Amino acid sequence: MIQEVNATEFKEKYGSGLVLSDFFSATCGPCKMLGFVLKDIEKLFPELSILKVNFEANPDLCKEFGVAGYPTIILFKDGEEKKRLTGLQQKTALVKLIEEFKS
Amino acid sequence: MAVKYEFKEHIIERQYQAEQEMLAELEQGGYTLQNPLVKLNLYFINPLSAVIAFKTEEEVAITVTVLGKIRPQGNIYHTFAPAKTHVLPIVGLYSNYANQVEIQAYRGEKAVITIETPDVFDGKDPIISMDTTPEYLQDNLIFVTPATDDLAVAYDYRGDARWHLNVPCSFDMKRLRNGNVVIGTDRLLKLPYYMSGLYEMSLCGKIYKEFRLPGGYHHDSFEMPDGNLLILTEDLTSETVEDMCVLVDRETGEILKTWDYKDFMPVGYGRSGSWSEEDWFHNNAVWYDPNTNSLTFSGRHVNSMVNIDFDTGKLNWVITDPQVFDDPEKEHYGWPREFVEKYCFKPIGSNFGWQYEQHANLITPDGDVMCFDNHHYGARDPEQYLPAKDNYSRGVRYHINTKDMTIEQVWEYGKDRGAAFFSPYICNVEFYNEGHYMVHSGGIAYTAEGEPSEMLGPMIRHLGGSIYSITTEIDNNKLMLELKVHGNYYRGEKLKPYSDGINLELGKGRILGEMGVTKEFETNIPMDPSGEMIPEKCEASLTEEMDRFTLHATFMKGQMVLLLLEQGEESHPYFMSTSKGDFKAMCMGTFLDASTLDENALKRPINYSVNKAGLSGTYDIRVIIDDTKYETGLQITC
Repeated sequence: MIQEVNATEFKEKYGSGLVLSDFFSATCGPCKMLGFVLKDIEKLFPELSILKVNFEANPDLCKEFGVAGYPTIILFKDGEEKKRLTGLQQKTALVKLIEEFKS
Repeated sequence: MAVKYEFKEHIIERQYQAEQEMLAELEQGGYTLQNPLVKLNLYFINPLSAVIAFKTEEEVAITVTVLGKIRPQGNIYHTFAPAKTHVLPIVGLYSNYANQVEIQAYRGEKAVITIETPDVFDGKDPIISMDTTPEYLQDNLIFVTPATDDLAVAYDYRGDARWHLNVPCSFDMKRLRNGNVVIGTDRLLKLPYYMSGLYEMSLCGKIYKEFRLPGGYHHDSFEMPDGNLLILTEDLTSETVEDMCVLVDRETGEILKTWDYKDFMPVGYGRSGSWSEEDWFHNNAVWYDPNTNSLTFSGRHVNSMVNIDFDTGKLNWVITDPQVFDDPEKEHYGWPREFVEKYCFKPIGSNFGWQYEQHANLITPDGDVMCFDNHHYGARDPEQYLPAKDNYSRGVRYHINTKDMTIEQVWEYGKDRGAAFFSPYICNVEFYNEGHYMVHSGGIAYTAEGEPSEMLGPMIRHLGGSIYSITTEIDNNKLMLELKVHGNYYRGEKLKPYSDGINLELGKGRILGEMGVTKEFETNIPMDPSGEMIPEKCEASLTEEMDRFTLHATFMKGQMVLLLLEQGEESHPYFMSTSKGDFKAMCMGTFLDASTLDENALKRPINYSVNKAGLSGTYDIRVIIDDTKYETGLQITC
């Protein structure tokens, strides 16, 4: 499920299970494209929590998690960062990443 | 308004047509030695060259001499084999000058003709200084190939430009044993600098072959003893770049052998300061050593020169700072311990330093290893990285013992010059003889405030800084030549303008090999065509070539843009990024528009190429910009 969250909501949700977070900007072409990729991912992994964080609206959260640019994808498992990808990603790369840490 | 369309003939085709027209003109006229047919820049890409043509009644050898501004020191001459029909390349003309060219029949008549050339630099010749003597350089030229939006150029002993390409061919230019040279094509496949392949050409600009590669070309090539070519490439459909090499048949362009460095390197370890997941190795040089039947690759982003067996592909040794980090936070900046124990060298001797982010490795005839040690970052541990102002670059020569795995530094040049000779990227060394070398520091940069910088040329120039290139030649530790020019230049080479082999062969060149299938974006956006034409403000145009097409258009920062090829239900999407390029390695910034580097630029001009390989039929070309699918009114047939 894809949800756009603020900093408080993010901190409530990222610590449980497998969470794919997408730090994005509304003024970034690759971020917009990544939004469509994540919709495909949502269809393939309906149980996966996908949290979208607006980079400009949540500067403190970005600083706390060391996110310096967008789009940045961080995969968390039970709150632990497992992998970080910067820039637009293809569906295959995200599927591979999720499969690696799913079980 | 319709999108502008242009079909661009391949340069080999255009050159052939021009050559045929010149030959027809030669047959029609009564061109003689005293009154030759003269065609300036017949092959379009070298405006400091010409072809002269005439006939003689008897078979006779002809010597042509481009007379120097200072004579005879500046003369460039060559004697061509006896013939009755003479079609002769003139190389080494001065820019913006009424060149005097002497044509002399063997023990016979002589004529001097004038060939006027335009200012090929539009008043911006990059030369600052050339310090050498005519006795040292003789009729050699120092060639430099660009790393920014400058173009390739060659200078004589006075610092006069005598050769120039007006198209952005780059990376290393090497002379082949038949007298031709190879250089990267001017056909960009993908930013920042992945080109369609290599041109084999004469210095007069005649192209004989384009070696196209599915994964494109970058950085370096090497002629094998049998004439085949090692060419650095990559898999443009994979997640990584600059980590493959192929052996290409010189006659057919067929790929005979492929090396993928992921097969023999511990990927992700040994990270230099410029490392990225995608560009984890950053291969900038290849060298074949016939004495050990091995290949040596320079990997900038692992601070390593890596040697493998040519036949088996097995790793032999690695010249690299062998640091191992026990701290898990730093583990990947170093190597696994077992890797170090098996493949790395132990330094001996009192004056030793490892190379960092090096370029242009070579093996000397006695087995020593040389490179240009950029010394960028100057350490494995990020806490010990050196800033540019405290750093240096150098040419360095190591003696290695592969039995006891020891390494000794036997020569260096440049360290004493400190930051003034520091290049964080590009550059090369050349071995001429024992103690006789070229050391080319082509990536020197200063901020707008005049401080040495480790920003790469295209960026620092964009930010108002200044960039330079210094090419030196050292013989027995004596500086024999120093060329200083504005701009950053990828490599320097010393070549004679004429070769003992081919200088010009008539006939049509060949386009060999094949382009790869352009990687599509895996996610398409379901959207009905709006029926609207792409907005006029995009200034869209399309250039078709025999094997690909390129959409040129200007979008706005932040727009999502998808290029679509559609044929009925079949749709091929290609993502066009409107973001600033984030390039940590920019060995050639020739194709980077200023707005590509400027985060704040609102307009994003984009040139996006799609190869025809893998496509079949006639496709409508459409463009999605954010939430609208626009028409271009154009179709492409593949």
